[in-house]
Amino acid sequence: MRRFLLSISDGRGFDIGLVSVPLAFLFAMAGLPLIYNIVMSFQEVDMFSLGTFARPFVGFKNYVTLFSLPETWPILGNTAVFVIASIAGQFTIGFGLALFFWTGFPGSSWLRGLFLVSWIMPGLVVGAIWNWILSGDFGVLNYILRESGLISDNIFWRSDPDFSLWAVVIANIWLGISFNMILLSVGLSAISQDLYEAAELDGANVIQRFYTITLPMMRSTIGAIISLGLIFTLQQFDLFAAITAGGPNNSSNVAQYWAWDLSFRQYDFAQGATVSVIMIVFVMIASVVYVRSTRHEVRG
Amino acid sequence: MTANQIELSGVNKYYGAYHALRNIDLKIRKGSFVALVGPSGCGKSTLLRSLAGLESISEGELVIAGARMNGVPPRKRDLAMVFQSYALYPHMTVEENLTYSLRMRGVGKAEARRKAEEVAATTGLSNLLGRYPRELSGGQRQRVAMSRAIIRNPKAFLFDEPLSNLDAALRVHMRKEIRALHERLGATSVYVTHDQIEAMTMADHVVVMRQGVIEQQGAPLELYDRPANQFVAGFIGSPAMNFVPCIAGADGRSLVLDLGTPQTVIAPKAVAAGRALTMGVRPEHIELSSEADATLRLPVGAVESTGAATYVTTATLPELVIVLNSRIQIRPGEMIPLRLDQSRLHLFDKETQVRLA
Repeated sequence: MRRFLLSISDGRGFDIGLVSVPLAFLFAMAGLPLIYNIVMSFQEVDMFSLGTFARPFVGFKNYVTLFSLPETWPILGNTAVFVIASIAGQFTIGFGLALFFWTGFPGSSWLRGLFLVSWIMPGLVVGAIWNWILSGDFGVLNYILRESGLISDNIFWRSDPDFSLWAVVIANIWLGISFNMILLSVGLSAISQDLYEAAELDGANVIQRFYTITLPMMRSTIGAIISLGLIFTLQQFDLFAAITAGGPNNSSNVAQYWAWDLSFRQYDFAQGATVSVIMIVFVMIASVVYVRSTRHEVRG
Repeated sequence: MTANQIELSGVNKYYGAYHALRNIDLKIRKGSFVALVGPSGCGKSTLLRSLAGLESISEGELVIAGARMNGVPPRKRDLAMVFQSYALYPHMTVEENLTYSLRMRGVGKAEARRKAEEVAATTGLSNLLGRYPRELSGGQRQRVAMSRAIIRNPKAFLFDEPLSNLDAALRVHMRKEIRALHERLGATSVYVTHDQIEAMTMADHVVVMRQGVIEQQGAPLELYDRPANQFVAGFIGSPAMNFVPCIAGADGRSLVLDLGTPQTVIAPKAVAAGRALTMGVRPEHIELSSEADATLRLPVGAVESTGAATYVTTATLPELVIVLNSRIQIRPGEMIPLRLDQSRLHLFDKETQVRLA
């Protein structure tokens, strides 16, 4: 008994006590809802059984039904396009900007800070702004494209099924650029200037220095930012709600919006839960990549 | 062609209004080992970085191996630099670090590998080629940094305080190793340090800098024996030279030292009577004498013994430090008879601090 008390005041017991508090919190606030969601995807749920947890189990019926729906594969395809295009755009432009500000021209750090404005704005506000920019009749994007001769007729970004998904992608890229840029800037500034000077004396030109020093030294940052990008993009809901609402005819619908739509507009809670479980799998994979890439940091 | 590998004439460097290098004229002979030494902020690193091309010079001319190098980017100067931080590429193995410059120049893989093994064999890195820098000790990293420079066979080696991150014992060892390497390769080396002992022991030619100006340059012992001014006199030698304000005696052959109380000694050379001067004498050039031969009798302030030598500090104003190579029994407060080595007194003008010719 005395040893047990001693271990709690100073020893393994104390360590376990400290760890258990956040673990209990995480389990209650994140673990339970997650488990509840997974269980629900294997049950038959309707408006009348919402209040109870003891619902009839139906095995994989919800999954089978889901994949027999005609809209399932197009929506999953849209999700893939949305994620890949958003991350590619955010990362490339963000990296470009990070390199640009890294040159350290007068006022560069001030201007870089200003870029965060896009990131701190609520998604619904960003959506509203882009609604104006993308507007088919009088939108400024159409004006620019038309005046520069790239298009002859207005594009109805939000209502044309060929463009509706891309309308959200453009807005999402804009929203994510600053976050990518800031994280990549931090990664860049962590590279010692000495390395570049050594490489320069060793005869490497700008492009060789980028490929042999910058990129390999940024590997963990890049891994982290792409997996974070995947997580954030799969969470992007506000822009869909604000810009296209998944339409027209599901042409811009993605899994995360669809899950909400199924659960809370069509009240098909089981199908909504099933879509979320599929998404959880992808987010889990991204999280593993994220944890691994931040662990394998190169230390000088 | 001249035998000068590096030649700087009238070089000036400004950072905005700050004048970092002032009228630098420096000729570095092919195969020589030149040390740039001075207190921090004296411009020695700026000068080295200007040679490397990492800083641009504002005025003047820089010639390396007969070609004007102003404005030529570092990668085209064919100089190798060893950094204080070593600047090893952390994501590359030792072998990849060594062959980096070769690969950038398009040397084939097999050829690069062969050269890496060749260089590693001479610097004792053969069994470390597969390791990453983070798996090496400080001394090993230092060797990798040196090997990376050697493998290129450059026009000159530039060293930027390469030993300052090592512990004292290793530093003494690496000093010899760098010097031996220099002799073996017959290379031209420019070595920046704030440690005058490194400069004195390693270099053929020492350049003492202060506030962007070359105060004096020459062979190490020449700087020790005939410092051009009070700054160089105080900077070279350890413990530092003693300086005593004095006035030339009426006969022009003696000096009246102001050590709190006036003391008269014979001047090393004729000086104008009444001229205000500063006399310098190194701690190792003051010796204990018999009462009869004494030129000075001074009270003892503190006595410290290292075993090999005894450091005596006198209770005068300014204090004199005396190094005696023997063990003696003296106590603070005692008066001791001393003799100054007449031929090794240095005289500087009180105002300009310049050595009297």
